[in-house]
This record gives sequence, C-alpha cells and structure tokens, in this order.
Amino acid sequence: MKRKTYIYLLALVPFLIVAMLYEIVPLITVILKSFQSDGGTGFTLENYQAVFSKLLYQKAILNSLKISLTSAIIGIIIAFLGARAAHQHQGKLNHIFMAVLNMVSNFAGIPLAFAYMILLGNAGLIVSIGKEFGIDMLANYNLYTMNGMSLIYVYFQIPLSTLLLIPAFDGVQKQWKEACTLLGGTQGLFWRKVGVPVLMPSILSTFSVLFANALAAYATIYALMMDNIALLPVQIAGCFTGEVRIRAGLGGALSVVMMLIMVIMILITNGLSKQFQKGGNRK
Amino acid sequence: MKKKNPGSIAVMLLVMIYLLIPLVISIIYSVFKKWTGILPEGFSIGNYTSLFSDPNFLASVGRSVGMCIVPILLTIIIVLLALFVTTIYFPKLEKYVQIICMIPYTIQGVILSVSILSLYVGTKSILSNRMVMLMGAYCIVILPYIYQGIRNGMRAVNMLTLIEAAEMLGASKIYAFFRVVVPNIISAIIVSSLLAVGIIFGDYVLIRNLAGTSAPNMQIFLYQTMKSDSTKASAVFVIIMFVTFVITAIVLFLKSREGKDRVQKK
Repeated sequence: MKRKTYIYLLALVPFLIVAMLYEIVPLITVILKSFQSDGGTGFTLENYQAVFSKLLYQKAILNSLKISLTSAIIGIIIAFLGARAAHQHQGKLNHIFMAVLNMVSNFAGIPLAFAYMILLGNAGLIVSIGKEFGIDMLANYNLYTMNGMSLIYVYFQIPLSTLLLIPAFDGVQKQWKEACTLLGGTQGLFWRKVGVPVLMPSILSTFSVLFANALAAYATIYALMMDNIALLPVQIAGCFTGEVRIRAGLGGALSVVMMLIMVIMILITNGLSKQFQKGGNRK
Repeated sequence: MKKKNPGSIAVMLLVMIYLLIPLVISIIYSVFKKWTGILPEGFSIGNYTSLFSDPNFLASVGRSVGMCIVPILLTIIIVLLALFVTTIYFPKLEKYVQIICMIPYTIQGVILSVSILSLYVGTKSILSNRMVMLMGAYCIVILPYIYQGIRNGMRAVNMLTLIEAAEMLGASKIYAFFRVVVPNIISAIIVSSLLAVGIIFGDYVLIRNLAGTSAPNMQIFLYQTMKSDSTKASAVFVIIMFVTFVITAIVLFLKSREGKDRVQKK
C-alpha cells in the first residue's frame, strides 16, 4: 500500500523542477552572490559595504523608502475615502465606480508612463494649459523628477488600494453607527473611535501591499527616466543589464536589501495589526 | 433605506475623474494629427491604419499572444498535478506547495528577472537561451494566480467528496480527478488563465531584462514608438488598453456568473 502511493510523488516532479529552476535556485544564488566579490570566491561583505557607503545607493534606498511610504500613505487615505463613499452610498454609481476601479487597476507600466508623458511631460497638455493661462504651478511642472513622478505612484496605488479596502467596509455594521448616533456621537467621532480601529487590520495589510507595490515599481519609472534615477529597482536592473560589465555581487546585495525592506514592512504591519485585533473583542 | 449622500457621490466622482483623465486624453490624442496647443487639430484615424499595416507592430502582437500560451498551459498542468498528489495522497506537503506558489508575490519582476538572468546567462546549455529563461520566469510570475484559482475552484466543488463518489462508481482516483474534478473547475481555470494573460500582456520588466529587445512584445513596441512618434504611440496605447479591458471585463463577467451559480445551488 505504502509503496504504491509513493509512486504518485512523481506527479510533483514537474512542479518542483520549474519552481527550483526559476524561483528557488535563482533566489538562493542571488543571495549567495551578494556575499561574494565578482569573479572571486569566498565570503565577503564588500558588496554591502559598497551599498551602504556609496552615495548613489544610499540615495536609492532613501528615495525608494520615501516614495513608497508617501505614495502608500496618500493611496490609503484616498482609498479609505473612496471605499467609505462606496459603503455609504448605494446605487448605480457604485457599479460604475467598481467598473472604473477594476478597469484602471490594470493600467500600469509603459502605458501609464505614456499617458503621463502626454499630460504632464515637457510639452504635455496640462503644462500647455498652465502656460496659456499663466498658472505657474502647472506650467513649471516637471514630470522627470522624484516629486514629479510621485503623482504616477499615487495614481497606480488608488485602484488597487480601493479595491482591497471596499470588502473590509462590509464589516462595519449599521447598528454600531446607530448606537453611536443615539449616544450623541457625530459621524466624525464614529469613524475616529469605531470605524477606523475596526478597519485597522485591513488598512494595515493593504498598506503593506501598497508599499511593496511602490517599492518594486519599475517599468513606468524606467520608461520615463531610463537608468538615470536613484531608485532601488532601477539600480538593481542596471547592475545586471547595464552596458558596462555585470555586477552580480552588488546587484545581489541591493536585491537582498530590497527584499529585507519588504519583509520588515510586512512584519511591522502584521505586528501592529495584532495589537488592534487584541484590543477589540470581535468574533 | 440609506439616504442619498452627496458627499459620497462627490468623492466617488472625483476619484473616477482623476483615474479616467489620463486614459481619455490619450484616447483623444490618438485620433488627431497634432495636439501641441490646448485643442487637438486635424481629426484622423491615420495612426491606426498605418499601425495595422506595420509588420513590426503585427509581429509584436503575435509575440504577445504567443508568449502567453506556453507558460500558462505549462503552469496549469504542473499545478494541477501537484495539487492532485498533495490533496489526495500527501496533505502534509500541501503547505510547502502553497509557500512555493506564494513566494513570487513578494519577489516581483525586477528581482526575479535579474536572479534568473545572472544564474543562467553564462552557461552553455538550453537554459541560457533567452526565450527559455523568459518562459520560465513567466511561469513563476503567474504561479500565485493560477494556484489560487485552481485551489479555490477545488474547495468550491468539494473535491474529495466528488472523488469518493466517482470511486464508488468504479472510477480510479486519477480518472476521477482528470475527468470529473477538472471539468468541474474549468471556469476557475479559465478565470485564472485570463488573469495570467493580462499579466504577461502587461509585462515589460521581464521581457526587457531577459530577452532584451530581440523579441519585442507590444509593451516594448510601445516603449520604442513613444520615444520617436507620440501620436503613433498613442494608437498602440489605445490598442493595448482595449485588449486589457476586454480581458478584465471577461474575468469580471465569469466571476459574477460563477457567484450567481453558487447562490442558486444553495
């Protein structure tokens, strides 16, 4: 009996081969190579030293952290307002709202970069409008800077985060709101003291998805800036595909740093979210 | 029941306007000859006609479609086989299969592509072929979606009971799995494959890093045209977005129909 069932393990083999060849072994090698100097063998920390001492890479880490955090925070605030609006209003508009969100959630990468180039690029439509009417803020908008691109980050965070948050609002019960109103509380008080704390676990997990999403964003940025910007994914790809020689060790170290940032963010949000779940006695 | 809430309506409208502006502007841009001032000039669909007679563009469309087929079929087969064995014979291993399938969620495009590239690029075997690398990478990228789709499908049809019933009628487990369970979860498989099509269609990172510009798909074609001719690029843009929206719409439709079916069964 036993022997017979072990034969079925063979059916796992194709899955394991693909996973090994293209997921597990490549990841392990990148991590290992980050502890080796290029071409050499033996253990070294010089790649990490380079990452943390060279200005370009310090800036890449800081910029990536900054834009991921800000775009995730702005994204989550807009998503909260949008999802709350969808929760409070029932009607035809909700269907349209959901349809637009779903549609736009696939609007990313090169097409998104292109659309923003037309809108806010050097000869973009909004920039021309700004020039025509003398609105300096629009006329001088420079898409090709870190701040200029933050609009794009916010753009692709909105549909994702709103779609993730909308189901969570089903957990906010009408009775709580009524109870709050009966006790003399206002809408604002309800959301501050009841709504947001109840939703906090969903908000935090959405936040970590947004953070990871922004941290790894590459295509849109590359389309606008090529390799000329200090951001982690761009610098990582540059180490492996640049015109100059391949710097696998350095790229590996940068990749490890990026993965660590992601893991740390997941741990932080999970930890915080447990705090909120402990506080309430929801079933 | 709920009173109309003007604030909520305003918020939803504002979000939608913000999200739709870039799309609408790009679409308008594609049907005019020139748009340097405030208003576009010279309506024309020339961009589209010249695009559809451009062999490079047609080849990129073909590549985008072709590149979906192998990875999706392969991933469906390996995941079906793996889930067949783990759910029926080795439930303890299921956890590990799940972990392997979920890792790609966190290592997104850039890290995956450079790690595959740096591992195989120098070796003199079939693995160093750039197309083979790309196909392998696509399998991994779509793995979480295919896995979840098939897994949820299996849960929904109550797979173990189905197999028991088929066995009582004299079928073997393998027969029961592939002839009874798989046809029952086919709509879940289709939905997850469509999601995968959407991902591969929208991919730029993997193909750029792994295949370079030797085999441009539609995304790379768009990237190259937008550097030279932005009105032509806007037509490419519209076609890409159109295809993406059609895929999304089919997925949503199939999902909502599935949901309704389940409600009716209950």
